[in-house]
Amino acid sequence: MSIQLKHLTRIYNRETTFPVVAVDDVDLNIEQGEFVAVMGPSGSGKTTLLNMVGGIDRPDNGQVVIDRTDMTALTDKELIAFRRDNIGFIFQDFSLLPVLTAKENVEFVMQLQGRSQSDCETRARELLQEVGLGDQLNIVPGKLSGGQQQRIAVARALAPKPKFILADEPTANLDAQTTRDLLDIMQRLNEKEGVTFIFSTHDPRVIERARRVIVFEDGQVREDRTT
Amino acid sequence: MTLAWRNVWRNKLRSGIMIAAMIFGLLGALLMVGFVQAMTENMVDNAIRYQTAHLQIHNHKFLLNEELSAWIPEAENLAASIRQQSGVEAVTARQVVDGMLASAASSRGVRINGIRPQDEIRVTDLQQSLVAGKMLTETGRNPILVSRRNADKLNLRLGSKVVLTFTNIDGDVTGAAFRIVGLFKTPASAFDDSNIFVRRSDLARFSGLDQAHEIAIRIADDQQLTELQEKITTLVEEQGVVQNWGEVQPVLAAMTGSMDIANAIVAGVFIAALGFGIINIMMMSVFERTREFGVLMAIGMTHARVLLLIIMESVLLGAVGGLLGLAAGRLMLAITDQFGLPFGAVAEGLGAYGVDAVLYPSVKGSFYLLMFGMVLFTSLVAALYPARQILKKRPSEALAERH
Ligand SMILES: Nc1ncnc2c1ncn2[C@@H]1O[C@H](COP(=O)(O)OP(=O)(O)OP(=O)(O)O)[C@@H](O)[C@H]1O
Ligand SMILES: [Mg+2]
Repeated sequence: MSIQLKHLTRIYNRETTFPVVAVDDVDLNIEQGEFVAVMGPSGSGKTTLLNMVGGIDRPDNGQVVIDRTDMTALTDKELIAFRRDNIGFIFQDFSLLPVLTAKENVEFVMQLQGRSQSDCETRARELLQEVGLGDQLNIVPGKLSGGQQQRIAVARALAPKPKFILADEPTANLDAQTTRDLLDIMQRLNEKEGVTFIFSTHDPRVIERARRVIVFEDGQVREDRTT
Repeated sequence: MTLAWRNVWRNKLRSGIMIAAMIFGLLGALLMVGFVQAMTENMVDNAIRYQTAHLQIHNHKFLLNEELSAWIPEAENLAASIRQQSGVEAVTARQVVDGMLASAASSRGVRINGIRPQDEIRVTDLQQSLVAGKMLTETGRNPILVSRRNADKLNLRLGSKVVLTFTNIDGDVTGAAFRIVGLFKTPASAFDDSNIFVRRSDLARFSGLDQAHEIAIRIADDQQLTELQEKITTLVEEQGVVQNWGEVQPVLAAMTGSMDIANAIVAGVFIAALGFGIINIMMMSVFERTREFGVLMAIGMTHARVLLLIIMESVLLGAVGGLLGLAAGRLMLAITDQFGLPFGAVAEGLGAYGVDAVLYPSVKGSFYLLMFGMVLFTSLVAALYPARQILKKRPSEALAERH
């Protein structure tokens, strides 16, 4: 698996007198099994970059190529199916469906893939077990802590067996201990199962754990270091 | 499906208010429609029972100008052969002439109906409408039935003598004294004001004519009205014109028609109000979840599925409100069906058209289905606009929205 960004550019308000170049001609390669943190000041374009890598926004110029698929060339419909099967998302505010239980939230993405109910159920149980929520299967997110919700989100992101997982500031709403627990889980998944993670973050504790740190500023890569 | 169902109940208060609004709206609409329907049916029913019967036959000249000379040729034979038809319950042939009813106090213009009492009681409910005295009989000298209204106006009582004046077949004005043996009161005051009943044999004696001008027919089954009308028309040939109650009383028929329109308007107004209500609810509910829909699209929910989800939410809400509302309406109508709806003061006003003072609102089963179908359809349509607004956005845009 590989992700290649070629001349990736995103300009907001292009038609107006104050266009904002949020991502400016970025070239990057990310390989299978990496644990990458994108850091940078607020407004530097991290979210914009991740959105395009995740195929939920389209670049104004350049390409996002995942393995052999140029995402920018896909139709909207193909893109939705591509995201569903290949990309896992984790959001800052967890973004679980509040009316579904932990297990149903995880099953939901797999149901979208058209998998059998028993399949979905088995895998949802496994994944929630994996993130330490084996006892909270039938509880709705609203009754769980932020850390627990974010772990459900991790399980949900993993459920469709994506090629990689994108997480835009996943720990911004979590306290120190839960951040550590979450990072432990993600790190374990990365090391044991080779799951590729790409974060954006301000959080030094996250950056500490990252094996590759991309420093982003004004829509451009300032620094790209691997520890 | 489960997701849509649970989403409906996320904002219990809001969905609850919408459902309550639908319940009251439907309740009102059903009562209104049931009431109008009951009134119409009652009016028609009364008109058929007391006045027109189902079908009438006249000489076509009589329809243009109610002259004594415009009788139906061989009316008795005709009546006898109509009586043989299956589906025909009873037939009567009347002699009809316009004249004056006079008491010592005053006089009024009336239609003098010369009837055969034994035939008449089987065709109309004249006998049941008697509030004092008794029906005309074959014995006794010149008996007459007058309405209670006319009796009051002319200061008459049972046993009072009245004088009828009218033009006989030779064109001479003739008069005769009659004695009141019964007072009648039908629900239609206009009918009561202008009709009196005497024996046909008595009338024939004074008019100098032993013929009938009107044949009234009562049938067993309302559904067969047109069928029998056609059948009897072929039987009657040139002898006369066969009209059904609606043709005899075009105003009543027109009113029935406009009641249907009134019902359609009530239903339409309700549906329109409902539509805007649901659009409003759905817009609030969908737009405040913009970010959530962004997430759903990001994790791979297709536009079609998002659309379906929103439509399902809307239709489920509509279905719940619709079912409860129709059930509440049904219950309400069941109650009013037991006890009737007192209609008192208004009945006086509408009395001229023949409406009873107590009505039993009823609504056809098909109307419930129609309303339910329209509620569902409206809910579906109401979901389209908010869904479209959401689906226009890129997931990244939807995700960026905060509430
Ligand atoms: N929808 C938009 N329309 C116009 N400008 C936008 C939009 N989204 C982001 N921007 C601008 O693009 C630039 C990059 O924003 P972006 O959200 O990608 O930064 P970020 O690094 O994620 O910031 P943060 O750390 O605050 O999340 C900013 O200047 C921002 O104001
Ligand atoms: Mg951001």
